[in-house]
Amino acid sequence: MVSVDLDSLPSGPLSMTALVSLEPAPLRRLLKSGLRRGMASSDLASLLADDWQCSLDSPEAQALLAALQERGWLGRDGDLWKTKLG
Amino acid sequence: MAHILAIHSFRGGTGKSNLTANLAASLALKGKRVAVFDTDLASPGVHVLFGFSPAAGQSTLNDHLQGEAPIVDCAHDVTPEQVKQAHGRIWLVPASMDSNRIARLLREGYQVEKLNDALFALSEKLNLDVVLIDTHPGINEETLLSTAITDCLLMVMRPDTQDYLGTAVAIEVAERLDVPAIRMVVNKLPEHFDQEQVRERVASSYDVPIGALLPLSDDLLTLASGGLAVLTYPTHPWSERVRALADNLLDTVL
Repeated sequence: MVSVDLDSLPSGPLSMTALVSLEPAPLRRLLKSGLRRGMASSDLASLLADDWQCSLDSPEAQALLAALQERGWLGRDGDLWKTKLG
Repeated sequence: MAHILAIHSFRGGTGKSNLTANLAASLALKGKRVAVFDTDLASPGVHVLFGFSPAAGQSTLNDHLQGEAPIVDCAHDVTPEQVKQAHGRIWLVPASMDSNRIARLLREGYQVEKLNDALFALSEKLNLDVVLIDTHPGINEETLLSTAITDCLLMVMRPDTQDYLGTAVAIEVAERLDVPAIRMVVNKLPEHFDQEQVRERVASSYDVPIGALLPLSDDLLTLASGGLAVLTYPTHPWSERVRALADNLLDTVL
């Protein structure tokens, strides 16, 4: 699993400016993948496996998704995961 | 799903809108269904190339981003006759030219996510092949979004030192956003410039493929944005290189 300090992520709505400055790169890629039409759970699972070396149902991935959802950066839109810009 | 092509420059005056409109026509001449979004909301202009001006009651992108107008109502068919004969179509989503609307947009802003959703909703509604985004120069929320969602970023610049420096910044941002494909377009290249030297300088500056070197053209200056060069002057070197760029994009990234 790619190391990311979830507590250090800024709070508040996500802007594109903030997205560009986020580290590490896999976090930017995850949120970028939620733009356009959004991503299906299978796409998210593939991205997590390839980029983060973890499975969607792993505790680490669930903690990551929870942190993003708590900030309102990522949410479910029907069957899709979508990045929410403030 | 339609491919997204963002046409961007770090500085103004590069001929970005002119290139966008002529690329749209070149792609449509290949039978493609194309939409052009004018996201240069502070200083719109691409509509002029298509001879379009929103009449009273016709919706613009502003009416969708800051109002309730469905995005499909903001898309206007501007297909020239020659393009119709080639079975292509062009829709334009213009930005408002009303000074009050521009001021309101700058004052109040809008949800940039709405622009993202509008691009994909329209592409589905009109069964589009390609969506071209004519961006605002420089870096702001819209241009960052356009960069993030594009399948290919065309970076337009003049052979000018300020453009070289600014373009490097824009490309660095694009690389942070993992843009799948980037192409450099050098526009307004004076006749006396050595093309090979320019090509080498661009290649060594950015390590990004060159899409086209487009000459500075008196004919285009004479046209003064009053039409599409690829239709008015189809055999002009500028037009030929724009069509070659469109062909290359279709072959490689679209």
